[in-house]
Amino acid sequence: MNDLSDPSNARHELTDAVSTSVAVLAPRGRDAAVARQLLEREGLRAIEVSSLEGLAALVDDQIGAALVTEEALAGSGSGSDSLKRALLAQPPWSDIPFIVLANGSVSNRSVAATQRMDDLGNAVLLSRPLHAEALVRSVRSALKARQRQHEARARMEELQLREQQLYESEAKFQAIANSVDQMIWSTLPDGFHDYYNKRWYEFTGVPEGSTDGEAWNGMFHPDDQERAWKIWRHSLRTGEPYEIEYRLKHRSGRYRWVLGRALPVRDPGGKILRWYGSCTDIHEIKIAGEQRQLMLAEMNHRVKNSLAMVHAMVSQTLRQSASLDDARASILARLGMMSQAHDRLINSTWSEAHIRDVADTALAPHHANEGRFTICGPDLPIGSKQALALTMALHELATNAVKYGALSCENGKVLVEWSVCRIDDADHLHFVWSEGGGPAVRKPDRRGFGSRMIEQALASYFNGTADLSYDPGGLRFELTAPMDGLTR
Amino acid sequence: MDDKTEKSGSGQPRCAVLVVEDEPLIRMEAIDMIEDAGFPTYGAGNADDAIALMERHADIAILFTDVEMPGSMDGLKLAAYVRDRWPPVHIIFASGIMGIEKMDVPDGCLCFPKPYPTGRIASALNDIASSLR
Repeated sequence: MNDLSDPSNARHELTDAVSTSVAVLAPRGRDAAVARQLLEREGLRAIEVSSLEGLAALVDDQIGAALVTEEALAGSGSGSDSLKRALLAQPPWSDIPFIVLANGSVSNRSVAATQRMDDLGNAVLLSRPLHAEALVRSVRSALKARQRQHEARARMEELQLREQQLYESEAKFQAIANSVDQMIWSTLPDGFHDYYNKRWYEFTGVPEGSTDGEAWNGMFHPDDQERAWKIWRHSLRTGEPYEIEYRLKHRSGRYRWVLGRALPVRDPGGKILRWYGSCTDIHEIKIAGEQRQLMLAEMNHRVKNSLAMVHAMVSQTLRQSASLDDARASILARLGMMSQAHDRLINSTWSEAHIRDVADTALAPHHANEGRFTICGPDLPIGSKQALALTMALHELATNAVKYGALSCENGKVLVEWSVCRIDDADHLHFVWSEGGGPAVRKPDRRGFGSRMIEQALASYFNGTADLSYDPGGLRFELTAPMDGLTR
Repeated sequence: MDDKTEKSGSGQPRCAVLVVEDEPLIRMEAIDMIEDAGFPTYGAGNADDAIALMERHADIAILFTDVEMPGSMDGLKLAAYVRDRWPPVHIIFASGIMGIEKMDVPDGCLCFPKPYPTGRIASALNDIASSLR
């Protein structure tokens, strides 16, 4: 049961009833009553009206069909116009069928009467007296034709809705595809590119349509083209997802790293309908990753190298020390010095230090002897290896001075001085350590790690020459190196 | 280039080792280690100096080289050059690179990590020396 308290439901019921009913307009005689009786006996609904206005109102309400006498149509005045207007106002799908009960043969009909019948559009004539079966069949046929009109209307509205939905869906797709940050593309099942979003054209700067088909491959870095083709062909052949990192030519002319991905869309039977793909600009991430890899490799190399140097220092110290106690003290002091040199390098740019810093750092542990060092020279940049070597050499010189040289007595002094001088038309670093005021110097009979560090290793790090002289007045060390040896 | 050191005196045919290492302190250490094992050594800081020493000293029977080195050739290229020009010379690599002992090196070459495993290197040198006698 329908809920009649709901006015919209009631209204729906009413129009539904009207659309399957027959309007009957037969104002004179018994025609209306007879027709209605005949129809209702056959289960057909009839609605009697008494005027053309009444009929016009039912036309407006989309009546299923109309049964009307010729003499009722002949009535002049506003009723005739109302009906004409109602008929013209029908929607495109609607053409209400009319059955006209004729007065006699066509030859007797006036021009005006013929015109009124023509105005009905979809009308058939039934002659009187009424033949029951002819009437019922005519009405059934009219209602059936009318039902087909409703079905056609429903189908048409469905198609219009789909068209609208399709339009909205396309508009939505375009809006999404063109607002995301990625480049988006699509291909036919054979890999033929026939769609790129706006981002693709913004990124590449090429004219629209110019990369359709297989022309996209030309946008790749020459070194990546073959690899990309191979992976793409593999996906086309197997239907496996496509994924690759490659360099894509940016409109600036430079290549940028992008991540390319694509997936196939299949029909219910599994057949590939299209490929949909994207390209994401990963240039910054990729470069950062490469730099991190480089830095990790460099760090690993440095750590390994430091350990190898510690190994060298420890084993040489052990080999050349007079006793284990001596060795322990030397190793600890040298390790401390290497550690400080690394700290200093980290605080600078790690690849470059300054010679003044290096001298200060190396001699800092001996600042108890404040005022006994004179340190002077231009603040030249030196490489990390040279900085470490110079730190260690100065440490050895200072340690030796404290034990045997100028710093072993109260009045001794040390001059640490460097300058740039011309030798053979090229700039050279001339670095001097000069002691004075200490006890008489004598050449040691053992050459330990310290003296090898000072005399051999340091010069080698600087690609220069070193000279250690045991002047009786004070130990003197000189390093001479070409300028490019400071940072090589 | 470091001076040659003279330690072998036993009257056997000389079997000298050329040490190629760009880090001077580590080169000093390698030379000490190899001399302690009883072999005369030559030292070079790069491939060019190493080749010059090879050309001058016919007693060099073993090349002991770092892998990563600045200059025109790294250790692998130097080894390939030496293998080509002086095929009988034995080649030993030493490097701080991760996985050096599994590295793809020419046939017959030995690989050691850094810092040096002193004992293993000494016995490898001795094995080579006895195979040459």
